[in-house]
Amino acid sequence: MALLRWTKRHLVVIAGLLTLGYLLLPNIVVTVFSFNEPKGRFNYEWQTFSTDAWTDPCGVAGLCGSLSISLQLAAWATLGATVLGTMIAFALVRYRFRARGAVNSLIFLPMAMPEVVMAASLLTLFLNLGAQLGFWTILIAHIMFCLSFVVVAVKARVMSMDPRLEEAARDLYAGPVQTFVRVTLPIAAPGIAAGALLAFALSFDDFIITNFTAGSTVTFPMFVWGSAQRGTPVQINVIGTAMFVVAVLFVLAGMVVGGRRKRQKP
Amino acid sequence: MTKDHGGDVRLSGISKTYGSFAAVHPLDLTVPEGSFFALLGASGCGKTTTLRMIAGLEEPSSGTVSLGEQDVTRLPPHKRPVNTVFQSYALFPHLDIFENVAFGLRRRGIRSVTKQVDEMLDLVQLGEQARKKPHQLSGGQQQRVAVARALINRPKVLLLDEPLGALDLKLRRQMQLELKRIQTEVGITFVHVTHDQEEAMTMADTVAVMNAGRVEQLGSPTDLYENPRTTFVANFLGTSNLIEAEVDSKSGGAIVLKAGDGKLSLPEARCSAPATTGGRVLVGVRPEKISLTHADDAGDVPVGRNRITGKITATSFIGVSTQYVVDSSVCPEFAVYVQNIDRDPRLVPGADVVLHWSPAHTFGLDAAQSLLAGTAGSAGVETVEEEAAVR
Repeated sequence: MALLRWTKRHLVVIAGLLTLGYLLLPNIVVTVFSFNEPKGRFNYEWQTFSTDAWTDPCGVAGLCGSLSISLQLAAWATLGATVLGTMIAFALVRYRFRARGAVNSLIFLPMAMPEVVMAASLLTLFLNLGAQLGFWTILIAHIMFCLSFVVVAVKARVMSMDPRLEEAARDLYAGPVQTFVRVTLPIAAPGIAAGALLAFALSFDDFIITNFTAGSTVTFPMFVWGSAQRGTPVQINVIGTAMFVVAVLFVLAGMVVGGRRKRQKP
Repeated sequence: MTKDHGGDVRLSGISKTYGSFAAVHPLDLTVPEGSFFALLGASGCGKTTTLRMIAGLEEPSSGTVSLGEQDVTRLPPHKRPVNTVFQSYALFPHLDIFENVAFGLRRRGIRSVTKQVDEMLDLVQLGEQARKKPHQLSGGQQQRVAVARALINRPKVLLLDEPLGALDLKLRRQMQLELKRIQTEVGITFVHVTHDQEEAMTMADTVAVMNAGRVEQLGSPTDLYENPRTTFVANFLGTSNLIEAEVDSKSGGAIVLKAGDGKLSLPEARCSAPATTGGRVLVGVRPEKISLTHADDAGDVPVGRNRITGKITATSFIGVSTQYVVDSSVCPEFAVYVQNIDRDPRLVPGADVVLHWSPAHTFGLDAAQSLLAGTAGSAGVETVEEEAAVR
């Protein structure tokens, strides 16, 4: 009886913890198995604790090369998509032009279209153009599908921006460039940052489109896929855990900065 | 003593049209240096557009804007020695109060701004708040930051676009006095846009009443209030009783008018309409200028005063005065405000009364305009506060 009442009272907390567990369990498994020393080629059964993989993350042929390619791709795709997407978002919110309505809806197409369809059509396009498949074709494809996510994130921010702020800046002796750098950009920054992070994550772990447009280039997700056919090196778990830790650190840093700002309040 | 008149604002024939809609009709206006000038009108009358053309945020369709001797019509806003206090304040949310105020100085490449900013924050009593972000301040404090941010640049002209609109009544009163104090202290030309006639009258030396993209009348608050020249001004500034009358005769600088079965006298100098015998004019009188006498004492009313008989339909006691509504043959809803000095207990709804006032307090308007222009009921007029009329 008492247990039932206790459960009732803490129902929200219990549900929250269960959901959190559901979300985090795969990450925990990945982390735990990064310290495993498997007997065969597959890292599916717990054997003994070992830090071998952590001391030698590049010990598997091709892994660190593919990781490097993926990081470069993600960095360039983020840069390209963020710059283009931010400009598109500003254009869509601030200016009235002929094809505005059409652009506004077409920009969402890459989000709505099944990835495999887009991948296939991109491959057709690149082959017809006679393009050499590889790093550059992947990059073009990644910028293309990241773009719509950046536009959505930045647009939301720009729409909520008071145009009077820019007028105020112009009124206070800031020229067009200064107004953009000192007022528009800092205020739009959270939206741009959100778009950029989204683009980075999407580009880094994309598999389907990359697989179609890569030619002989191997990215990290493709490497993982490929090795899963033959056996899973522990190093994959190491890289996965490291990525997870980096992401968590980013979030924590953001919380600390935000918390410090809030504490400045009286 | 020489004055360079660098703070004079001269608008010559400026207008603004959007497609076929004329927001501002060609208008000429001179705001003398160091004055507190108000542009008063209902929303959509073109007052904010006029202000924005002075700031450079809006390009005039025709005409020129000059500051002193300099024609600034083609200058972008950041090159004009003019600053604006925006209606929504438009404080930069990502900068703290200090940096908001320092913004203009920094953009002009001034290195050491600390002393000036501190002084300016002291002037608006916000020295303690320098390191806070705008959203951490109250509405009144944000408003003062907006003023400080503009004033620190020592502009030739400070433009205020409904700066008190977002504040509650008490705070608004306080800020009106505050702004007036600051203006006297710094001596900069202020151009203030407002739809609140009371605000315009308390703060400004000169008021331009705008209606539908035109300046209806320009003058000092007392001049506008005592001598309105259009029904819009008569109704928009305070309350007026307007009676349609016919010109009967003219004698010795006075016009004698026939209204209903009675006669009214109007000094010729106070009639803004051409008064030809037999023609019609609108006779106006402010509610607080009228005395109310019970019909039984009608004999006590001094001769030579304008008088009208009627019946009280409603009274309301508002402390400083009592407001009566009187039904008379010439005007169904005659408003009368009587100071609460000696209250006559017989003046209750239903009582027959004589309304009388000095002919010198009568004004005459052109009859060819709407009686209701500028009243609370007519389109576009938001608030007509009655209190200001009781002066």
